[in-house]
Amino acid sequence: MTDLTEKMSSGGETIGALLARNASRHGKDIALREKKRGIWEETTWAEYAEEVLACAAGLEKIGVGPGKAVLILGDNRARLYGGMLAVSLLGAYAMPAYPGATLEELRHFLGEVEIVAAIAEDQEQVDKILELKGAGAEGISHIIYDEARGLGFYEVDGLMSWDHLIEVGQHVLNETPGLREDLFGRAKPGDPAIFMHSSGTTGKPKGIVLSQKNVLAAARNGHAAGVFEENEEILAYLPMAWVGDFAITVAAALLCRFTVNVPERQETVVRDMREIAPTFYLAAPRSWDQMLTTIQVGMENSTPVKKWLYHFFMDRAIAAETRKLNGKSGGLLEPFGRLLGEVMVFGPIKDQFGMSRLRSAFTGGEAIGEDTFVFYRALGIKLRQFYGQTENSAITAMQAPNEVRLHTVGKPAPGVEAKIDESGEILLRAESVFEGYFNKPEATAEALTDGWLHTGDAGYLEKDGQLVVLGRVSEVMHTAGGERYVPNYIENRLKFSPYIKDAAVIGAGLDELTAMVCMDFEAVGHWAEVNGVPYVSYSDLSQRDEVAALLRPAFERVNKVVTEPLRLKRFVCLPKEFDPDDGEITRTRKLRRKVVQERYADVIAALYDGTKEVHVSAQVTYETGEVGKVERSLPVREV
Amino acid sequence: MFYRLSGVHHANYVSDSRIFKVPADRNLTAFIFLLGLAAPFIIPSLYLNSYMLPWLIWTAAALGLNLVTGWAGQLHLGYAAVMAVGAYSAIHAARFGVPWEFALIIGGLTSSVIGSLFAFAALRVKGLYLALTTLAMQFVMDWVLTHSPMISGGSHASLQAPTLALLGQEITSDTGYYYVVFGWCVLVTIFMLNLKRTALGRALVAVREKDFAAAILGVNSFYYKILAFATSSFIAGVSGALLVATFYFLAAPEQFSVSVSIQVLAMVIVGGLGSIIGSYFGVAMILLVPGLVNGLVVAMSNGLGTQVNVETLAHIPNAVYGALIVIILLIEPLGLGKLYGNIRDYLMVWPFDQFKK
Repeated sequence: MTDLTEKMSSGGETIGALLARNASRHGKDIALREKKRGIWEETTWAEYAEEVLACAAGLEKIGVGPGKAVLILGDNRARLYGGMLAVSLLGAYAMPAYPGATLEELRHFLGEVEIVAAIAEDQEQVDKILELKGAGAEGISHIIYDEARGLGFYEVDGLMSWDHLIEVGQHVLNETPGLREDLFGRAKPGDPAIFMHSSGTTGKPKGIVLSQKNVLAAARNGHAAGVFEENEEILAYLPMAWVGDFAITVAAALLCRFTVNVPERQETVVRDMREIAPTFYLAAPRSWDQMLTTIQVGMENSTPVKKWLYHFFMDRAIAAETRKLNGKSGGLLEPFGRLLGEVMVFGPIKDQFGMSRLRSAFTGGEAIGEDTFVFYRALGIKLRQFYGQTENSAITAMQAPNEVRLHTVGKPAPGVEAKIDESGEILLRAESVFEGYFNKPEATAEALTDGWLHTGDAGYLEKDGQLVVLGRVSEVMHTAGGERYVPNYIENRLKFSPYIKDAAVIGAGLDELTAMVCMDFEAVGHWAEVNGVPYVSYSDLSQRDEVAALLRPAFERVNKVVTEPLRLKRFVCLPKEFDPDDGEITRTRKLRRKVVQERYADVIAALYDGTKEVHVSAQVTYETGEVGKVERSLPVREV
Repeated sequence: MFYRLSGVHHANYVSDSRIFKVPADRNLTAFIFLLGLAAPFIIPSLYLNSYMLPWLIWTAAALGLNLVTGWAGQLHLGYAAVMAVGAYSAIHAARFGVPWEFALIIGGLTSSVIGSLFAFAALRVKGLYLALTTLAMQFVMDWVLTHSPMISGGSHASLQAPTLALLGQEITSDTGYYYVVFGWCVLVTIFMLNLKRTALGRALVAVREKDFAAAILGVNSFYYKILAFATSSFIAGVSGALLVATFYFLAAPEQFSVSVSIQVLAMVIVGGLGSIIGSYFGVAMILLVPGLVNGLVVAMSNGLGTQVNVETLAHIPNAVYGALIVIILLIEPLGLGKLYGNIRDYLMVWPFDQFKK
């Protein structure tokens, strides 16, 4: 392993050096595949490097350089990835934002650093940037767009197509001898790779700059830990503004020469995934949950024979897998049943979802439900958990293939040191840990002491070095009786129910715990259809007694796990889902506790004063930016 | 279950428009092709000669009719007559001393010319009227054949086909005949498989669905109808010639009578309009099942020891066989090809009922 790691590090410590290495030594290998009109257009490393160089030369001409930032706005597109690389070649900040980000969120980015240009996916994103310019971001002098549809008649200074930028850059490249080598070698390991933002569950998002050294160290650690091998096929579908996407789709892809497959659109990801059948797949627990729901709903609608076969093999495989996770043997007949089940049921299901070539599959970001985790393991997918944050370039700790347990997140990767301080917080030291928050010395001083990163997560190390994460330190709360609890821990366990999409546990400083939950419309909707429960809308269905009865077992299950004072006593099913546009959750779907507590103050009051019903008017932000209201009276349910 | 589609992606449109989009289909076809190649070594000569050979040759012929009826949507009740034209002209050419390779092509081309005459009828009339017109032309052909001693050698005479020889090799063995027919059937099948993904194929389908709608799309239905009849007639002509050269050895007008026309049409309809695999099934059903049913009934009556009189014994298979066709068409009006498709679909989405998204 060390040999390989050394060999790879000899390729260089910067993005430019790695790109040059890939282009010269593996120029004919496929670097990118992007689906356009049903066809996967392939780009080799040599072509990709040339395009990135041209883009960098073009960007330099329009004033991008060290200290300046370029906004990257859109869904996953090959050109946006290329643009990010080009920006980092120039030593500037590539600043990706969530495509659904509102104007308000984007405006927050402006104050931090001088944004001189933006690379946008399409007309929608260009409009957003133009609006941003109108709202005081005159500094954005150039907007480069990928998809030209609808932009033909725009007459805006500095608006240009990607092709035009490449043309300009190509011209500069041809005019200036030695510029190619110069660009490849210009950025140093300490120069920025990416400008990210923390998720901002508690306040305004903080700017996080990861250097090229950081992200490449993370990728190297990941490779050393066996997270991925060389030449993996991956699907680039995670939001570009999430650190996990950058670590895998850009850093690891450069280091280990992945073929990155960019789906046609967000809506076609499922089908595109089947066409590609990636060998490496990383998804958040909710994506795994969603896929599980799709499989289960699909099986419920299937024909009796297929359904019977499915249950015959699946139930046994799940039972065997549960025994194995608890350290027992899978059973005598398990290998045989697995073989037959693979042919009859597991193989076809994996094939339908494009998971048949998976060598490693990961879940991270949050805790995953036992049912979900065991299901995929039973299906024959070697699902593993990993742990990481934006501040440490995502790839930090992960389970080894033979050490999978439900409650741990695995051992720290080689090159990562972890320890627990007196307060129970996890501290990390590694080359992949960032230098500090952007222009926030106080926050940085809080987060970094002597090179140790305070993760803000409470946890402990088991005897064999496995890391266990309990939840955010800042989220440790106490009831009026002084009982210590982590609401996120309880919420996650509630969310393990397929019918609950989001939950907010209340009880800090109060006598007992209660919860507000948002049901999962797909799962509950299907259940209502099958069981003949009539409904007209989400808010209507959510208040039905049958649904309350459906959700109750989830609470009972949680109550069995927690201690007596922490049992959930009452709950309310909210008439709308939590939505990032309404500010109730972040774009990565983490709960913004403060916002929720303010907005649903009436509901929380009703949960404790013994009323049977509470009138609520919840705010809804539509995609057009208009704000509406959902009004409804909600019954308070006893668990 | 057997159909695995993950990882199948296309980097260009040529790859996207390949014949077999599903690897399992390609493998199955390759397997059947190899089986076909190995058939003379597996199947006893008697069965090869009396089942496999006619099955393949009638399949080639049925595929030709499927082109005009299934793809272009033109009902054709005179197909046997077109086959006869090919058979007689090829044999006459061969007797005249033309090498068989060219004789077969001459047969095909003559059929093509005569067959195109049917197309002119199709340009004027549609549906039942076209059926009747083509039927009339079948009778005209029959009459011409039986009343022109120059062609058929007289009303009850038959015309001896010279020994088949291809590429300078005289072909006299059963295996030889089989391979000639197998080659032709494979050729026609490849042509039909490709037809689906060409502009011609799509134009034919457009004409079938609504010829004036096709005209609005810029598809010249006049041109494509003639093309469909000409192409299908070429296939009919060569198939007819090969039928005589490898199976009947002499040509007689009764071999190409109106009942044969109807039988080929039945093969196409039972098999499924516009279905290639269906044509194979349809021919097997019409051609081979009567023999099987017959054998079965005889074996059963012997096994049960019942004394069924000979006349009843002769009629039961016919009744069973007729009932079988009715049942199949009741279950699936689109024929055996569609039945196969249903099974394929069932396995394709396995273990789900349908695959959403």
